[in-house]
Amino acid sequence: MIAEAEALLAVIGMAAVTYATRAGGVWLASFMTITPRTEAFLRSLSSSVLVALVVPAIVKGDAASAAAATVALGVMIVTRSAIAAITVGIVVAAAWRHAIGFMS
Amino acid sequence: MAEGGLRHAGHVSWRGVRNGFRRMLPLAIFVVPFGIAFGAAAIEKGVSPALAILMSALVFAGASQFSALDLWTAPLALIPILLTTFAVNARHLLLGAALYPWLSACPPRQRFAIVGVLSDPNWALATKAYESGERDAGFLVGSGIVLWIVWLAGTAIGALVGSDLGDLSRYGFDVLITVYFLTILIGLWRGRDDVLPWLAAAGAAVVAADLLPPGWYVVVGGLAGGIVGALRHDR
Repeated sequence: MIAEAEALLAVIGMAAVTYATRAGGVWLASFMTITPRTEAFLRSLSSSVLVALVVPAIVKGDAASAAAATVALGVMIVTRSAIAAITVGIVVAAAWRHAIGFMS
Repeated sequence: MAEGGLRHAGHVSWRGVRNGFRRMLPLAIFVVPFGIAFGAAAIEKGVSPALAILMSALVFAGASQFSALDLWTAPLALIPILLTTFAVNARHLLLGAALYPWLSACPPRQRFAIVGVLSDPNWALATKAYESGERDAGFLVGSGIVLWIVWLAGTAIGALVGSDLGDLSRYGFDVLITVYFLTILIGLWRGRDDVLPWLAAAGAAVVAADLLPPGWYVVVGGLAGGIVGALRHDR
């Protein structure tokens, strides 16, 4: 049994640590002189964080997530609609897994 | 780089807040099942409904909250929970740094209030909006608040009503966030200059995902891409 006070302390600690990560980047960047080079760094940083979130999820995920990502990519390029791409992606992943479920 | 970009930066208005709220809402709805899953998982771990809801309200970072539940055993190991929280959320450091050119024109107090609702989805949407000329930092606030509301609502439903949703991957919901980030990435593509930084980010992230504790691969991949981007600028 975990004491409620102990649990509350953990939640408050987690909140403080998480806020520190949210504020820390902006704070640290304020010591940077913004030159064309640091601007290039920050611009590449933005898109690279997304690449770093997406690629391992697809590479390490199952075949259904890879299929969903591929189809969604195609839908996005053709329609330019994020909602359409996401909806199709979810349907593909669910359908793929149901198909596998039926076969096994 | 557009000239005078920083001069126009740094205002926060209700128009921006509303705009961010509206643009984020259709996607934010999809966060509800994740909130329900978290609320239900927390109850299962013996967390009281009130505390689960409080955690979602104050921490507001799903991946780290699920990680904390993994470590939620008596007696509570506070230090490992906090270190894991930091590791899983360390990517926020990069998100904040990437926002600096935009937020630097806001007074510090405003800046540090705005990042209180910073999370991956609204950061991604706001970054895309910034690229197409949005300079109202209220956009980040509005898009963050809508995510906060649905995360909180989902947690409350899961914690109080319980959940028969079972494994969300059955419905394909687990691919949601990956596909969403993918659609944002397509919008950020600027041409051949991105190829090398993106390859560096992808390679570093995949390798780091195998070698490092959870969460760090995003930081490693992001930094690798950023550094390659800065180096290419020198040539």
